Amino acid sequence: MATPPDLYTIRIGGRLGVTTLSAFPTMACDLRRGETVLTGPLDRSALFGVLAQIEALGLELLEVRQSKAR
Amino acid sequence: MTITATTGHGERPAQPAAAGVSLGAGLLRRDDLLATLDRVTTRKVTVISAPPGSGKTSLLRMWSDWSSMDHQVAFVSVARDQQNAQEFWLAVQDAIRRSAATTDSPSRTTPPSFDGDAMVDTIISELAEQARVVVLIIDDLHELRSTEALNQLDQLLASLPTSAHVVLSSRRDPPIRLHHLRLADEVAEIRADDLGFSERETRELLAGSAIGLSDAGVSALYQRTEGWAAGLRLAVISLSGHPDPERFVAEFSGTDRAIGEYLMAEMLERQPIEVQSMLLRTSLVDRMNGDLADLLVGRSGSERMLLALEEANAFVVSLDAQRTWFRYHHLLADFLRLELRRTLADEVPDLHRRAARWFTDRGDVIEAVRHLVAAGDWPDAARLVADHSFRWVLDGQVGTIRTVLQAFPEGASADHPDLALAHAAAELNQGRLEEAATQLTLAEAHLQSAPSTRHQRLTVAIASLRLALARRSGQFSEVIEQVELLDASMADPSTEPTAMGSELRAVALLNLGIVETWSGRFDDADRHLTEGAALAQAIGRPYLELGCRAHQGFPSRLVSLADARERAHQAVALAERHGWDDRPMLAPALGTLANLTIWAGEFDEGEQWLRRAWEAGEAHIDPAVAVLVHTATGMLNSGRGQNQLALGDFEAAAQAQSRLSGVHVFAAGITAWRAATQARLGMPDEARASLAGFSAERERTTGISNARAVISLAEGDPTAALDVLREVQNAAPADGCPPYVLEEAHLLSGIAHLRLGDRNAAAAAAEAALATAEPDRLILPFVMTDAAELLDTIPRHATAHGALLADIRDVLRGAPAPSTDRERLSRAEELSPSELRVLRYLPTNLTRPQIAQELSVSVNTVNTHIRNIYTKLAARDRSTAVQRARELRLLSAGRLGISRH
Repeated sequence: MATPPDLYTIRIGGRLGVTTLSAFPTMACDLRRGETVLTGPLDRSALFGVLAQIEALGLELLEVRQSKAR
Repeated sequence: MTITATTGHGERPAQPAAAGVSLGAGLLRRDDLLATLDRVTTRKVTVISAPPGSGKTSLLRMWSDWSSMDHQVAFVSVARDQQNAQEFWLAVQDAIRRSAATTDSPSRTTPPSFDGDAMVDTIISELAEQARVVVLIIDDLHELRSTEALNQLDQLLASLPTSAHVVLSSRRDPPIRLHHLRLADEVAEIRADDLGFSERETRELLAGSAIGLSDAGVSALYQRTEGWAAGLRLAVISLSGHPDPERFVAEFSGTDRAIGEYLMAEMLERQPIEVQSMLLRTSLVDRMNGDLADLLVGRSGSERMLLALEEANAFVVSLDAQRTWFRYHHLLADFLRLELRRTLADEVPDLHRRAARWFTDRGDVIEAVRHLVAAGDWPDAARLVADHSFRWVLDGQVGTIRTVLQAFPEGASADHPDLALAHAAAELNQGRLEEAATQLTLAEAHLQSAPSTRHQRLTVAIASLRLALARRSGQFSEVIEQVELLDASMADPSTEPTAMGSELRAVALLNLGIVETWSGRFDDADRHLTEGAALAQAIGRPYLELGCRAHQGFPSRLVSLADARERAHQAVALAERHGWDDRPMLAPALGTLANLTIWAGEFDEGEQWLRRAWEAGEAHIDPAVAVLVHTATGMLNSGRGQNQLALGDFEAAAQAQSRLSGVHVFAAGITAWRAATQARLGMPDEARASLAGFSAERERTTGISNARAVISLAEGDPTAALDVLREVQNAAPADGCPPYVLEEAHLLSGIAHLRLGDRNAAAAAAEAALATAEPDRLILPFVMTDAAELLDTIPRHATAHGALLADIRDVLRGAPAPSTDRERLSRAEELSPSELRVLRYLPTNLTRPQIAQELSVSVNTVNTHIRNIYTKLAARDRSTAVQRARELRLLSAGRLGISRH
């Protein structure tokens, strides 16, 4: 893991409560109106792990966006 | 059944009622969707692909409970995170069998061996022979993580009988190649949009659940959930008995929180405190019964709560008809686990420990290890594995060891000394000998620090693996030394046995017997393997017994060819009784049978045994077995006149021999056959080079002299050939010259005499060859030396071996084997339809009573049919019957009316 993981922004429908947010301990969360934005550095397997969590918890995935590492 | 338990079964009316019928809280009979399913399941494959909570499982359960009687539904739910192809296919097979039976069929013992492709074939034929159209539903397909199983599912779909349909239900589009079926318009799809509730259905659902809500309230609820089935079901649970349903809906509609979490939290909060406690604390096991749940919760009454939750359709599903095992809806389970970790984090490790203890007590070591690892108790988990490794090795369950090792996080498994033993067993099984040796050294180093209670057990396990490792490396003398170190009585029968544990003693006898076999010390081997087999049987270790018996099929001074063949057949029969007939351990018996049948000129049967020997896999990793199987393959090719192929096989055999430190009993024979084959291919120089380095003393009895004669003949020097052969022919019986070497010498000298124009001497040599061949029907040498012309020198009626001669001529002409094949063929045509039906079950693992149950006839009837089948196919046991049936294509697709690729 020489290269730093990329920064990802993931938008989810609805505001998440503490229980569901605890599934994403490595991500910073921003609760907006009617949606939750999770942000954090993820390598590819971590990214798919997060997506699997979103699927498993029946959450509504709105958008996944990658920006360059900080 | 599960969800509709309170409503019972029934045939759906032909004309679906206009209005949906409620099935209790949160469930609605959705006639439109059921009709859609009725319609689409006429295609070969239906794919239901939608996110969790879309109502896939409920719909399929409902459809299978209510669907019409002219087809039968087999329902399989893939277990969570299923990585085991065998478990998956056994579940599919069980479901198909259960769907056919009016009562639950008896549970089968799981065979430790597994051939997935064969399993798919079995399932295809079972689907084809069902009386009615079968709809096979595979739910939660996204949980299937085995690439092997998914590929096999591809195969199944490609070869599906016309009377079968498959429904695949998954959270995401399954990784199955469907394009061929799509092109043929044989695929139907149902997606999330199709599954969503309409506003009308939402209203019917609420009405059916006796929830009074205004039209505006219903609309608001529908809008907010967007028809998401799980959301509506959760809402209904919260609304049932709610003092103010309108307020609930208003609050729910007004919040912008994520729907699922909001509703699950609401539902949980509305449960009594003891139910909440149970739900949270049991969420970390994948499945539970009342006993396990009580243990986790620390109080009794869990089963009652689970049953009540299931009846309320509250995301609890029972897994068996008796309703004793339960699991949570995956969506709820995931939510509960998060909530448990958030609110009761301190308890989590202890809960895992309790679960581990419970599974350990029930003998489910795999599950116990998983929970210990989850609790962070790696050392305990590793100890558990170490303590069970030896037992798994003894019972041939190395696959279990590999599964268990996967439960450990990568770092932990590499360097925990207690795991070294398990790693060693797994590596050894894969033929990675250096890695196995490294792990064993680790395990030994760690032994010093083990407490005395475990010391003995671990010592025994290490000693037995050391023996197997030395044997695998071909260090034959080292094995014998080690056994002597362990127990002087073993190598020296005059001393009394010491108190070595019976299991280690049996393992020692097995390994000793195997290396003695490969070293050609057949008398010692026979004594040790017989003792080992008896001991293994006495202590209830059938896998060890099989290991001993599988190595007892070699002919020797004391064991005739016929007896050897009989012994090998017995080993195969023993393996079949345990469902181990494709285990690596059986490979030596299969290889021997191949050898013996090929020597008798029965090439087709020999080829079948060879194929099974290769499929058993051991020849790919154990050089000693590889020598045996390569040699037999060379013999077969040689017998069929494929000398170029045969040369490759003998070279491969020599290659395998070179990986052994000791000298394999076949080594000299391989060299001789290789050289003779080279000479026949016109490469006399290469042939001589192959023979370089043999001493004259060993040449006579090992066939090397014969090879020299073949070279001389190829070089056009029959006199030189005769000179070499004379020594073989004149060898005293005490020299122990094996009959096949002597027979070959007679044949070669006959050919040499013929070249020199001496027909009388040639005829005498041919007659001598026949006399040597007669007791064991050693036909192969006649073929390898191409003795047709030589045999013509024998005057008509002047031989005492007329019958054998006729058989040999048949083989030389390329006719099928000299046994009774043609007779068998004509008789086989006479198999009655009921016998053919029974015959189809013979390749399966079903016992006779189970076959009787499958066919709804008595065991006596099955026994009669099987007896007739054996007679008609001239088979001695189940395996030869299957063998014959395969050769005669009685099991083939056409006969069963199955379409295959």
